[in-house]
Amino acid sequence: MTTDNPPTSPGSVDDWFESRLHWRALMDALLHVRVPLEAKTFFFGGMTLFLFGVQVVTGTLLALYYKPTPEAAYDSVLFITSDVSFGWLIRSVHHWSANLMILFLVFHLLRVFFQAAYKYPRELTWVVGIGLLGLTMMFGFTGYLLPWDQRAYWATVVGTEIAGGIPFIGDALLVLLRGGADVTEATLSRFFGIHVLVLPLALGAVVAIHLVFVHQQGLANPTKPDPRPPAVPQGRTKPFFPHYILEEVIAWLFLLAMLVVLSSLFPAGLEEEANPLETPAHVKPEWYFLGVYELLKHIPWKVVGILTPMVFIVLLAVLPFIDRNPEVRPRKRPLAIALGILTIAVLIGLTIWGYYS
Amino acid sequence: MSQQPTADPGTSGFSRRRLLAALAGFSIISTLTMIVAPILGFLIPPKTSGAAAGGKVLVGTVADIPPGQGKVVPVGSSPTIIVNTDQGLNAFSAICPHLGCIVTWDPGSNVILCPCHDGRFNPTTGAVLSGPPPSGLPAEEVTVEDDQIFVVSS
Repeated sequence: MTTDNPPTSPGSVDDWFESRLHWRALMDALLHVRVPLEAKTFFFGGMTLFLFGVQVVTGTLLALYYKPTPEAAYDSVLFITSDVSFGWLIRSVHHWSANLMILFLVFHLLRVFFQAAYKYPRELTWVVGIGLLGLTMMFGFTGYLLPWDQRAYWATVVGTEIAGGIPFIGDALLVLLRGGADVTEATLSRFFGIHVLVLPLALGAVVAIHLVFVHQQGLANPTKPDPRPPAVPQGRTKPFFPHYILEEVIAWLFLLAMLVVLSSLFPAGLEEEANPLETPAHVKPEWYFLGVYELLKHIPWKVVGILTPMVFIVLLAVLPFIDRNPEVRPRKRPLAIALGILTIAVLIGLTIWGYYS
Repeated sequence: MSQQPTADPGTSGFSRRRLLAALAGFSIISTLTMIVAPILGFLIPPKTSGAAAGGKVLVGTVADIPPGQGKVVPVGSSPTIIVNTDQGLNAFSAICPHLGCIVTWDPGSNVILCPCHDGRFNPTTGAVLSGPPPSGLPAEEVTVEDDQIFVVSS
């Protein structure tokens, strides 16, 4: 990757840092790189990262008032929403940011798929990215239980039951997830610990790996495959900093505005407190699990319904090693594009079916 | 004078290098085991005694469940559905064998219904009538003594 060397003046802040930290070499390596002019990322990856940042800030704030016990959780969420200044806003932004994070992660995945940016030399970046998708889904699943309302409770019962249906390891996995046979205070403690400690650290580390890979390889050019062996791209380029970053920040500001508008118009709700003796009528999970939930209704063999999404995720992870076609332009990879569109249609169809059934 | 062949320490059967590598490998594996074993052990929840260790549990009176009605009641930590049909009182585990939701009595169609995926069960036998549940609801023993309903918990 080529770098720019911006001019500096002696006696500046830049000089002060340079004399102590060899700052310029670090900044040159991190920021002053060039990206192909043809690269169109639509900023989806960066927007997902920004939303993760929003989640860290709002999640930390919520943790100051939230109490992770079945007796106190529901009331503490009510307290945050009704009594704490801006509590409704912080909670609703956390709720919407979680949903948008998954949405933009999927957009990012689709962009990379349709531009064939998962091909040589970026296979491992794709695999790590699918790991990030898995971690983000786990964030959604564990965070969902925390309000301890009816929807939270029953989504967790069904979700952990699905994990319990995996052949051979299901029973052990169910007990490990729930901290016992049933969804109880042990489950809430576990999910809280995983949601606020394990997953943020894991996601932070895996995002760092993802970004290092992206930095080492540069952005993909969707109009031509990367040369083998690797060579400095010859096409037209533009500076990553400040040109690309500036556009990215504009996208982030747009997202921030969208979060506030969505939170104000559709604040995060709270159903009745969890009741382990009553499953509410027509209970449904969050939209991103709705397709799997509907699939389980129609596949007569439960184990097949449980394994199908898992096999799909594994196939998605190893896609760069299955798709050996070196072409990147969509019209030269008709099979991949057709399968991609078919998959999206099935997923959207199942989700809409699940929503209305 | 003939020279005696000497053993090359690098190619002998068990060199110092291999011994050190084996010892280092053993140290790494034992250290990892020492760290991972207690973490895994800690994650597996301890066995608890459970809320109900068996016996008869009072769940209500006959007046609570008139003919043609059903009700979910707690028996220890496991919910049970009692239905009052033409054949008398029947009790079944209220946990749907599909995905663990709690079934309910549907007075409109006189069946036991799971609200999650619309699984339907026979109120007399607990057998699946329709929907995705892979098996019926396990029956539980129910007795009536002086208008009081008891479920015999196993």
